Amino acid sequence: MRWKKLGKIFDPTQFALPNDCLQFAQSPQALLFDDFVRIYFSTRSTDRTNGKYLSHVAFVDMRKNLREVIGVCAHAAIELGALGCFDEHGIFPMNVLRHGSVIYGYTCGWSRRVSVSVETAIGLALSDDDGISFRRIGDGPVLAASLHEPCLVGDPFVRRYGDAFHMWYIFGTGWRKFTHDSAPDRTYKIGHAVSHDGVEWTKEEARQIVADRLGPDESQALPSVVEIDGRYHMFFCYRQSYDFRRNRTRGYRIGHAWSDDLSNWTRDDDRPGIDVTEGGWDSDMMCYPHAFACDGNVYLLYNGNEFGRYGFGLAVLE
Amino acid sequence: MFKWRKLGRVFTPQEVQGRSWLKEFAQAPATLIFERFVRVYFSCRPPADENGQYVSYCAYVDLDRADPFRILEVSARPILELGGLGEFDEFGTYPVSVARDGDEVRAYYGGWTRCESVPFNVAIGYATSRDGGRTFVKHGRGPVLSYSPEEPFVLSGPKIRRFAGTWYLWYIAGRKWKLVEGRAEPVYKIRMASSEDGIHWRKVNRDLIESRVEQDEAQASPDVFYRDGKYHMFFCYRYSSHYRGRENGYRVGYASSEDMLHWARDDSKAGIDVSEEGWDSEMISYPHVFELDGDTYLAYLGNQVGRYGFGLARLEGGLA
Repeated sequence: MRWKKLGKIFDPTQFALPNDCLQFAQSPQALLFDDFVRIYFSTRSTDRTNGKYLSHVAFVDMRKNLREVIGVCAHAAIELGALGCFDEHGIFPMNVLRHGSVIYGYTCGWSRRVSVSVETAIGLALSDDDGISFRRIGDGPVLAASLHEPCLVGDPFVRRYGDAFHMWYIFGTGWRKFTHDSAPDRTYKIGHAVSHDGVEWTKEEARQIVADRLGPDESQALPSVVEIDGRYHMFFCYRQSYDFRRNRTRGYRIGHAWSDDLSNWTRDDDRPGIDVTEGGWDSDMMCYPHAFACDGNVYLLYNGNEFGRYGFGLAVLE
Repeated sequence: MFKWRKLGRVFTPQEVQGRSWLKEFAQAPATLIFERFVRVYFSCRPPADENGQYVSYCAYVDLDRADPFRILEVSARPILELGGLGEFDEFGTYPVSVARDGDEVRAYYGGWTRCESVPFNVAIGYATSRDGGRTFVKHGRGPVLSYSPEEPFVLSGPKIRRFAGTWYLWYIAGRKWKLVEGRAEPVYKIRMASSEDGIHWRKVNRDLIESRVEQDEAQASPDVFYRDGKYHMFFCYRYSSHYRGRENGYRVGYASSEDMLHWARDDSKAGIDVSEEGWDSEMISYPHVFELDGDTYLAYLGNQVGRYGFGLARLEGGLA
């Protein structure tokens, strides 16, 4: 198995996006229809009160060749949370899943803090109009910090296998100032939870399910699981916990692990591997992968440089 | 109705010497009875920082069992450390509730973090003591009871109880942040959860006490005890805006229940109110009822939600 890069397929600066969002199309996530693919992503507006970013979920519909854009959404797929709620300052990412006639949207909600920049938690919103609009089931999250996962529960990815909902997500292991004059940075790892109804979840509570490659200061993000020839494959991204934004040797790369039982995962980043391309749109980093099967192919959506400021690209498994 | 006779203020934090972290406030009293003394846990504060922001620590004062107005000891250090960078209890531990469990003492407490759009958020933490309640060790760096779809923020005011081997936690959950003249004010309601081990909790997921003075009434300090065949709850409530003075400030309410789930509120039975003058003339809040040597006492806070300490009242006659 190896990935063949197909290039960047969506540039947010070329479209009129909701909420006057101009840049960023982060963490693309696919929802399949009979004759098109709806790809959700998080884009950003500017908070007029303080100039900080707000992340909104939008989508683009593409032909199944994943080349041709049909159109982008007229409105954000979900509104941001109310004052003081976990998702007040952004939703990034949202993972979507068909369950019966309803689309489940698992959100990673962001709210700003004072001593550190942000806290996150995972919410659930439902759509009964094929994913055009989502309504949250409550103002609060379905998965949040707990005794041994003290902060930053986020990046949900949910699939049903058998009678159970499985969620892979990330949990923070802590915030730290790595250098004297730097802002606090966080470290997070990939965890796993199960549910009978998709609403009430049981975490494995701080069990890191994918081994570190860079040591304890490796941050792992955005797990995505796909079944290929009877084996489960997880794609995620990982980086150093500090000096990762501009230093290309410490920035995000795409990792991989496989499992036959959904519980024990063997990390194997090189089979199939995918890496940055010199001189390209993904020359400095690769992040926020989303693997999915469509019409007999296995695809990987992902972001490149600057965490997806200028869009996302595609690779196909050969 | 209950008839409480006020005995006066029993502890004034401003009178404590030599503790930089205990300058003001003695909030949310909670008792643990020992052979020779009554240990009263409370939350206190050092002076505000340069931005006017407070942190809050938990401490205790031991009162002579024979004469509760005689102070035997004040804890030399806070009983709990504040949380680390970015953790839920980085900026405060308030309030705390304690219960014995064999040789251990369990503590459930509100952990405070600071937010940008609203001033704070709170979730409930868990710690245990193996030295008779002098110091506590947290069970994790995160909360034991946190936010959920119907309880989105401000989970605070825990009161831990055990009935027939099951742990019960009464607490408050935020309903909304209400903008009052540009300031975000929290509205919260009394809720409940139960657990076999005190770690894994099942929330009841509804308000236990109907709101009385207005829809956005805020309710706190759900203090429950069982006597004479039913459960009694003293709590406090306030208006959602302009509640820092006498008019809209905290008062003590009362409700009773046969099954802990369905409560009949009847504040007219509470039997205690603000005084005409003195330290509890503007508000009266955070009630805690305990029995001691045949008497029933109610510990409570006065003006400015306990800035100047807590007092005691004693029940005269029987229960309502």
